[in-house]
Amino acid sequence: MMTADATDPRHETQTAAEAPPRLRDRVVGLARLSPTGAAGLALIVLFALLALFSGVLMPHDPVASYTDRILQPPSAEHWFGTDGNGMDVFSRVIYGARFGFGIAIPAVLLSVVIGVPVGLIAGYRGGYLDEVLMRFFDGLRVFPSIILALAVVAATGQSLFNVILVLGLLDSPVFARVVRAEVLSLRASVFVEGAVAAGNPTWRILFVHILPNAIQGALAQVAVRAAWAVRISATLAFLGVGIQAPTPEWGAMIRQGAEFMVTGQWWVGVFPGTALILMVFGLNLLGDGLQDVMDPRRRAAK
Amino acid sequence: MSLLSVEGLRTHFISRDIDNRVRVAHALNDVSFSIDRGRILGIVGETGAGKSLTAQSVTGLLRPPARVVGGKAVFDGRELTAMSDDELNTVRGAEIAMVVQNPRTSLDPLTRVGDQLVRTHQVHSGGPVATSRQRALEMMEAVGIPDPRSRARAWPHELSGGMAQRILIAMALMNAPKLLIADEPTTGLDVTVQAQILDLLRDLVARLDMATLLITHDLGVVAHFCDEIAVMFAGAIVERGPVREVFRNPAHPYTAGLIAATPERLRSGERSVQFGGPPPDLYNLPKGCHYRPRCPFAGAACHAAPPELETTPGHRALCHFAGAFDRAQEPAE
Amino acid sequence: MRTFRFLLRRALMVIPLLVGVVFITFMLVRVGGLDPVGQLAGPTATEAEFAAIREELGLDQSLFRQFLIYAGNVLQGDFGESWLSNRPVLDDILGRAVISLELLFWGVGLGTLVGIPVGLRAAFRPNGRFDQVSRVLSLLGFSIPTYWLGLVTIFVFFYLLGWAPPAMGRISLLVSPPPTITGSYLIDGLLQANWEAARSAFAQMVLPVLCMAVIAAAPIIKQTRAIALDVLSSDPIRYARATGLPERVVRRMVLRNSGVPILTYVGTEITGLVGTMSLIEYVFAWGGLGQYGLNAISRGDFTAVQGYVLALALFSVIVFLVIDILVYLMEPRSDLT
Repeated sequence: MMTADATDPRHETQTAAEAPPRLRDRVVGLARLSPTGAAGLALIVLFALLALFSGVLMPHDPVASYTDRILQPPSAEHWFGTDGNGMDVFSRVIYGARFGFGIAIPAVLLSVVIGVPVGLIAGYRGGYLDEVLMRFFDGLRVFPSIILALAVVAATGQSLFNVILVLGLLDSPVFARVVRAEVLSLRASVFVEGAVAAGNPTWRILFVHILPNAIQGALAQVAVRAAWAVRISATLAFLGVGIQAPTPEWGAMIRQGAEFMVTGQWWVGVFPGTALILMVFGLNLLGDGLQDVMDPRRRAAK
Repeated sequence: MSLLSVEGLRTHFISRDIDNRVRVAHALNDVSFSIDRGRILGIVGETGAGKSLTAQSVTGLLRPPARVVGGKAVFDGRELTAMSDDELNTVRGAEIAMVVQNPRTSLDPLTRVGDQLVRTHQVHSGGPVATSRQRALEMMEAVGIPDPRSRARAWPHELSGGMAQRILIAMALMNAPKLLIADEPTTGLDVTVQAQILDLLRDLVARLDMATLLITHDLGVVAHFCDEIAVMFAGAIVERGPVREVFRNPAHPYTAGLIAATPERLRSGERSVQFGGPPPDLYNLPKGCHYRPRCPFAGAACHAAPPELETTPGHRALCHFAGAFDRAQEPAE
Repeated sequence: MRTFRFLLRRALMVIPLLVGVVFITFMLVRVGGLDPVGQLAGPTATEAEFAAIREELGLDQSLFRQFLIYAGNVLQGDFGESWLSNRPVLDDILGRAVISLELLFWGVGLGTLVGIPVGLRAAFRPNGRFDQVSRVLSLLGFSIPTYWLGLVTIFVFFYLLGWAPPAMGRISLLVSPPPTITGSYLIDGLLQANWEAARSAFAQMVLPVLCMAVIAAAPIIKQTRAIALDVLSSDPIRYARATGLPERVVRRMVLRNSGVPILTYVGTEITGLVGTMSLIEYVFAWGGLGQYGLNAISRGDFTAVQGYVLALALFSVIVFLVIDILVYLMEPRSDLT
């Protein structure tokens, strides 16, 4: 800013505008725009590395039971101690990152795949269909999402696949709403009216003309919804619904650690909980940053 | 000594883009004018020329990333541009009053209009609340509000646009200001109401000996209600002088084009007067005269920054060929 | 009169929502994998016995008729019988509702009381240090699993420091609960000058209420900030600044103008917080509706689950209605609609 003021500002901007943007500048620029978002991204990359290279990084088999070393506190051999089955908590925490991604990615994908078309069609067609869909989504809102997820998973059968399916379905209204709102404002725009007048078929208008412009708001939500999916799936496992112990999933591990909290073996529940928090926190930071960068109004406030 | 004199005011929007490059929008570049008590100065120009920004810069109401980077505004012997926010708050609403563009949405929706008038008076003038109440009723009467007593109890959303604008004017008068800044006070009002509001303003200015800055995009308004005119283009006042003189002998080609492009039927309704090309890119202004790319008379000399020339006493224009541009047909480069 | 008409219209608008809610809870169990016939009939039942039971339960009827029968029963307060407690589900729910409401009230109340001022202060200086710190902390609050926070506070304050009593219910096992007036041990203890009971009830309540407040405050901080920032850049505030109102007056205006949107937001958040409350009850063995419901879910007692989910949804609907009415009363513009 100082340089811009000190020299002739007109000259300054002109040279800056002529120089092609460099990748490094873009990275620095984005990090400047949202330092918290950058920190979140770093956290997520770290967890992704843990999940990808867990085979190399785990010092022990995450489900191997050392019956002679039950509930040992953290040590050089077992960094995070051992649990009630004599399993290495450190290795289990690392392996747990796989469940985080393994549930969040397909669940959010499913939400997007269902929610975006529904939002597109509801927003574009409007009328009765739109009204019914929106009332239905409003109806879903009176149920706490966590309770609904729990009840549906418990009722439809407890498997990892079901957990993903239920989370994906229950969260799809979020994307439908965002896309619908964008479509409503785009529908009246000049370029869509032009496309209609030019005789394009509806599907083409929806997917070629509207979708690319409406999708941004939905994409800004992806990280936050992934955070939700990771959190809820762990909660289900904590309550013993869906994934069961001794699967090295963080929620299930916290369930195992719960009874040891009041007897002092804190490491069984605290370490998986910390990992869970950090991953969800990273996703939330990233999501907050994405919304900052994608929303020009929030960007202008900086 | 003028009541308000603005000299060489420059305001920039300084921000960084996503590639971490500094971006500077040169919103105001060298704005100078002055205004005396009892006079109405009209500032005209197209959208983005910097009319409202001039008012905001003078009164210290800029919000980041906009800031004043040069020049000064002196009001009644005090330098506004050097004041702290607290000091400015004792001037704004008291000695300098504002009337804004959207009267209905600008009033506090949760406070009855009478209470808002009283609040302004209490904050700046103090004294017993009963006195403020009395003054509020007087001012509502002065701006032509029938039955002020019952109107004072109205909520803002219950008012029509014209009525709300009268309330804003009453609010401006509460503390007997020396300077009134009216920023597009009639935009969005019915044509008949527009005329009523402007008549009211002119009448009040004469009676109360206020200086008035009227910001508008409407040349017709200036012609009918103002004593002096300042024409803005690309963040600079390109021409200023007495209204009659400027309308009769426009000294700057932009002013001439503006007058030619404003037939009577366009006087109201059109949000912006736009002719001869797109508005200049404030991030990347052309070198020399900023009007050069749109100027039908531009010549080689226009690549240098134009001087401000005085054609007749008090009538100045920012042009190499001020007052004689249409006779200066040099071959273009 | 106008107020009465408004109330009537709002109340009537709730009806289709309630029908939808009952339908969803109905589907929850009908779609559920558990076959009540198989359970009731036992492994050795014949085809004829199956049919008899199916007829007795009304399962031979069309799905639509079944729904009508179910809705009719719900309307009469018949939520069925829990096989875990062998009692009518409605009695179970009513007996526990006050216990849960007490926790919800203090937790959400405290969270709101902290969250709103923090969010406002952050908005007054956007991107200042306070804003950045509170923003990161609120995102952290979003990320902490409720139950884990409960477990860790139990570990720290009960096991390590010994400040808190064991997390087993609403009153110490050594203290006899006061006779019921409101159902809240704390209030009943205070009302009857039973200081020992009141003290114990209070001590039991501190940790769960604090956990609840932390989880509740996070989204309220974030949303209050966003709302206040919107208000700060709105026409009335900009005009107020132009008329030279001092900062403290402007801030009071921001506060008042943010009131309605914040209230509306807290109202919509209640639904999610009821879920949070259930988890807190589960961890602290609170014995309220939340714990009852979670137990029913994990044990597969679907009649109870149905009743529990229905009760939570009803509660949300009532809260929405109350908020609507409050907004109507607070907002002078509302007689426009």
